[in-house]
Amino acid sequence: MIIWLLSDYDHRKHLAFKSLLARFSSAYPDTTIEFSVKSRRSLWESLFTHLRDPKRNPLADVIEIPQNWTELFSRLGLLSELSSSVEVLSQRRYPEFILKELCRQEDFRAYSAPWWLEAPSLFYRPQALKGAVEEPENELATWDGFRAALDRVRAPAKRGNFRVLSVPGSSGSVSVADVLPRVWGRRGGLFSDDFNRATFSREETAGGIEDWLELAVSGKIELFNADRFENGPRPAEDCAFIISGRKLPGASRSGLKMLPYPGYPSGGGLMLVSNLAVSASSRDHGEAAAFVAWAMEPRNISSFAESFGVYPCVKSMFEERLREEKDAGVYRRLFSAPELKPNIMVYPTAELLLEHALWNLSLKIARRDYEREDLMRELILAQGEADYLLSLY
Amino acid sequence: MKKTAKNLCGPEAGRAFYDGREAFMKAALEDVAGQFSLDGASFYEYDEKLGLLRLRQRHAHGISFEHEESLRPLPGSAAARAIEALAPASSKTPGGSFLYSPFRFDYCDPSGGRSVVPCFGLVRMERSARKPRFSHSEASRADAYLRSFLRDYYKAEFFSLHRKYEKSVAAITELTEVFATALRVQDSFRHILAGIQTYFGFDRVRLYLIDEKNHKLKGELSADIRGQIKSMAYEEIPLEPGAHRFADIVLGKSSGAFMERYKDYVLYMPLAVQGVTIGLLIVDNLLSQQLIEPAELAMLKSFGGQIALAVDNSRLFDKVEELSLYDELTKLPMRRYFNQRFQEEFYRAERFKQPLALVWADVDYFKEVNDTYGHQIGDKVLKEAGRVILSNLRKIDFPCRYGGDEIIILLPQASGIEAQRLAERLSRELSELRIPVPFSKTRELRVTMSIGVSTFPADASTMDGLLEKADDALYWVKSHGRGKIALYSDVAEEKKKSAQAESK
Repeated sequence: MIIWLLSDYDHRKHLAFKSLLARFSSAYPDTTIEFSVKSRRSLWESLFTHLRDPKRNPLADVIEIPQNWTELFSRLGLLSELSSSVEVLSQRRYPEFILKELCRQEDFRAYSAPWWLEAPSLFYRPQALKGAVEEPENELATWDGFRAALDRVRAPAKRGNFRVLSVPGSSGSVSVADVLPRVWGRRGGLFSDDFNRATFSREETAGGIEDWLELAVSGKIELFNADRFENGPRPAEDCAFIISGRKLPGASRSGLKMLPYPGYPSGGGLMLVSNLAVSASSRDHGEAAAFVAWAMEPRNISSFAESFGVYPCVKSMFEERLREEKDAGVYRRLFSAPELKPNIMVYPTAELLLEHALWNLSLKIARRDYEREDLMRELILAQGEADYLLSLY
Repeated sequence: MKKTAKNLCGPEAGRAFYDGREAFMKAALEDVAGQFSLDGASFYEYDEKLGLLRLRQRHAHGISFEHEESLRPLPGSAAARAIEALAPASSKTPGGSFLYSPFRFDYCDPSGGRSVVPCFGLVRMERSARKPRFSHSEASRADAYLRSFLRDYYKAEFFSLHRKYEKSVAAITELTEVFATALRVQDSFRHILAGIQTYFGFDRVRLYLIDEKNHKLKGELSADIRGQIKSMAYEEIPLEPGAHRFADIVLGKSSGAFMERYKDYVLYMPLAVQGVTIGLLIVDNLLSQQLIEPAELAMLKSFGGQIALAVDNSRLFDKVEELSLYDELTKLPMRRYFNQRFQEEFYRAERFKQPLALVWADVDYFKEVNDTYGHQIGDKVLKEAGRVILSNLRKIDFPCRYGGDEIIILLPQASGIEAQRLAERLSRELSELRIPVPFSKTRELRVTMSIGVSTFPADASTMDGLLEKADDALYWVKSHGRGKIALYSDVAEEKKKSAQAESK
């Protein structure tokens, strides 16, 4: 059996998966498993390459996908129906907000099983905020408050590598993953509520994107930064703020404290869910589905998710984790009104269109010839393409 | 994971083949990490135009993984020096020690073209701060070791390009055959679209043809990435400037900016034969957002003429077939076609025990019309009769100009009464017609029809029998004043009564 795992900037995930597989292999010694770690782009290409020439480009048996790819690839016939073979799915043992997007079109069938989720949040070092932020809880609740704090925080002496803000998952350019939490915070989105038209250039959406781009324009985040490349991983002590979807390693040792993502004063936020799917062309569907079912078992899903600071999706384990959470208060606020990216056929492509626009804008910002008109032009063009896609699919 | 790396000639570096770039990078990073006690190794490609290094593969903590990261080396840094001088460079920072081993080689296009495919990048080897830094000799050995590996990379890339070239040659050969053998319209369009999808595998292929008569661009067929072909008959675009971007493209009025934006994902290919545009073929990768490679675009464009010719040929073939099977005047099928369909329908009626009615109609005094008003007026009468008949039939009915002014209509699954109702409707509509006759006193001509109807199995159990009975019924009408309709069963009953009366 072959498994494709989505790559992650955080190597803890890869190690957690490796140890999960070791446990599976000792429980099922007759099953041979190989796994590859694929980037999102590479996984996307592999899935389409398979569609073009299935014989030459076989799929793995089990594939980790972002939850909102499920509709697209199930409609393209690549994913197997799982609710009949994975008990947690048939019994709907997931939080309601996850199920809502998993089965947008159908109530009884599911083509992937929600596995783990992360909630973008703000981490800060109280030490670094001294003299700049008096009441972090209040001042950092809004985007404007957070933005003002970024300006006020000064680098401590003898810390030449100090950065006000660090985004560990950054790919170098401004990406969709960076901007969407802020877009959601502004009540924006890529499509209208009825999914009849794209809304890239709507004020809330464009404003959310612009908020993040402004961080790059003002130098609060560095684009295509070679720092990590040239100097190795930056210690948390070198940053005042970190935006991350997961608990950071050694967070308590570094004195990091956690708050909801700025801009959600009443709680809630965008959650990113990753699912496991079984490919429709798997030679041993039963074995692949059995692995998914095994991975969803309480002990397995729980230890896997905990290893890299994310939440398990299975309801009982999700609730248990929340009960035991040190920052339960923050997470309760995050999960008070959780929102997921829509699981509709054209959504993943719409994200790619936005990604393309953000790449162009990032290059401009890095060259220092970015202007606001560039943003609107890129968004209008991307929106036109997304609208066209909606008309086709 | 080892599955993809096909080590055909032994484990030594410089002597192995890898099934693709990913397999090579993974093997190289794992190997070099093991050989030189590394904590991490990463494979970057260098985009000279943007000055960015793009991470392709990384090996750390015993796991190889792909990841997306683009970064710009700091000017004067070890990485920048390595890229500039194409020589290894190392650095030591609080984060650890790093060794950069650059590579650069250019491939010649295996298709024999003049283009050169560049391959430029570096491998970064890293050790944590607590381990010793890379010594000069160690750096040289690691660089040499990687270079021997990169010869395999060159081979892997070259073979991958060569495979693409072979695929193109196969596509050219087989698609040419597909296009050359495409004959009937629907079949040939399907073949063309399926052929394109087999070799190119676009997200969608759509075919539109120009309907000159109605001045429209009409959707024909679309094929999706899974090869499923669907009708697009519902799509009709007015062929006027500004009406739709497809119309603008066909009319040669599309804006350059629009085409520029979509050029990597969509190809709009107007189909022209001898300078006349007959349609539009659109291929796109809009859903997957994957670039259509320039070589593929060029090849598909080179097929444009053949596709257009194949489409035109199949339309001509259908036209010729139509001319040989249909009467040009009445637009009704001719006797030869009727005989074939009559057999099929009769067989179906027999097998499924369903009724089949046959209507035999004759324009009254048609010879006199011709003799009195001329053949032009006679033709008009027949043309109108054909129009009335075609506009009143169900889809499953089959009319035919049997000869002269005789028209036969097959009505599958219809009883005698149902056939009679249709005949009455036809007769009424025809009698309401006024054929203008400019040079006559009345200025117009009115015509009627005599119609005989027979049914299977009630009246006859063979094809000849069915024809004969309908003819009998028609003859009865003609001999009883014309302009009426008779069912053979009624005629037979009438005849029986007459015979009985005569015998008395």
